[in-house]
Amino acid sequence: MSPMKLCVPGDKLCSVEDCIPGTGVYLRHGYIYSSLAGYVLRKNEGEELPVISVVRETETQLLPDVGAIVTCKVTSINPRFAKVHILYVGSTPLKDRFRGTIRKEDVRATEKDKVETYKSFRPGDIVLAKVISLGDVQSNYLLTTAENELGVVVAHSEAGAQMVPISWCEMQCPRTHAKEFRKVARVQPEYLQA
Amino acid sequence: MGNVVQSEARGAVRFSSVEVCGNMAGLELLSDQGYRLDGRKATELRKVQARMGVFAQADGSAYLEQGNTKALAVVYGPHEMRGSRSRTRHDQAVINCQYSMATFSTAERKRRPHGDRKSTEMSLHLKQTFEAAVMTQLYPRSQIDIYVKILQSDGGNYSVCVNAATLAVIDAGIPMRDYVCACTVGFVDETPLADLCYAEESGGVSSLALALLPRGGQIALLQMDARLHQDHLETLIEAAMTACKGVSKVLDEVVRQHLQESSVLSGE
Repeated sequence: MSPMKLCVPGDKLCSVEDCIPGTGVYLRHGYIYSSLAGYVLRKNEGEELPVISVVRETETQLLPDVGAIVTCKVTSINPRFAKVHILYVGSTPLKDRFRGTIRKEDVRATEKDKVETYKSFRPGDIVLAKVISLGDVQSNYLLTTAENELGVVVAHSEAGAQMVPISWCEMQCPRTHAKEFRKVARVQPEYLQA
Repeated sequence: MGNVVQSEARGAVRFSSVEVCGNMAGLELLSDQGYRLDGRKATELRKVQARMGVFAQADGSAYLEQGNTKALAVVYGPHEMRGSRSRTRHDQAVINCQYSMATFSTAERKRRPHGDRKSTEMSLHLKQTFEAAVMTQLYPRSQIDIYVKILQSDGGNYSVCVNAATLAVIDAGIPMRDYVCACTVGFVDETPLADLCYAEESGGVSSLALALLPRGGQIALLQMDARLHQDHLETLIEAAMTACKGVSKVLDEVVRQHLQESSVLSGE
């Protein structure tokens, strides 16, 4: 593995005709410049031009983007929406918690008006959701769970035990065998441990 | 009586000594041989020493000394907007700067370290400077905090803050177009002096502070609140830009060395 080249912000890396800009770089007057202090990485993507990007050992804070799958924890619920703290973006943990909102009509795809948030989420649940909007000045990130793979993944029953999902709308406590309503996520087969 | 020899008629070398109460206070900001109060030449910068990554808790941090002026810069972010949510910008990040001086930083103990007018103005200047260099469009609806504290003040406070904050922002991994280097220059006896110290700044020198993006030669901030003849402005700005480019070389060294050290530690 050849030693990677060091670069600092403002270093001219190459012209836009030789490479495609990736992350950590910017374009100016037909040339690609570095915007981070790190190592230059050139990746060949087939017949196209190589993609050039600058990487650091410690990645900076990732911001949730529209369409990203995020893992969040429900903090409070309300008949109209549920407020959550976004903990992970994809599989990257965030250093700082971002706040998000799941509106009542975004909880599931069918029968949106008949949704009761109390029967879909409870405070303390871990939920997989997708970002639909960055929100405006007043509101937080807007999230949705209106897909089969999105919804509650981990929930604790009123007795305190971690519940097992039974169907897409119910979970059961292994200790008391009481059933509770949640909007459950259908976890992809590859993530289930045999 | 006899320790001063003046032979102006023959144009011989002039000796001046502090005991003679001739010219104002006897301290010459620029002697005939071209030496300043601390022995530097007119275009010579003070010694710059810097370290990056001094705090583990912050996202980015740096400590920089320029002569006797010492500053500590800490960067947090980008993170969600805190405080007034109405200041959120939908298309870019908001940069929040705070400048403060330690109470022991000046000759007399400072009564109000932050919140006074000068600190607020300095914080605003720092914010404007970094908004020009940091690529804020990559982080909409978020906030980047830059806190700078002066531990010892000996002139050129703004410049040292900008240089320290540049290193801290690079340490935090926030993308920037280029380094931001700053220097304070003054005009004495038709000569521009680079990197003023406290004695020169308070000695009635017209001082100009310039923050520059060295590679493109773009000025991020130019500030002066003294009187200067229009004809001298060009020369002074040129001298400031040269001094900033000198500072940028030193900062570059520091960044490259820090990168190599941290990669050695992570075993790359």
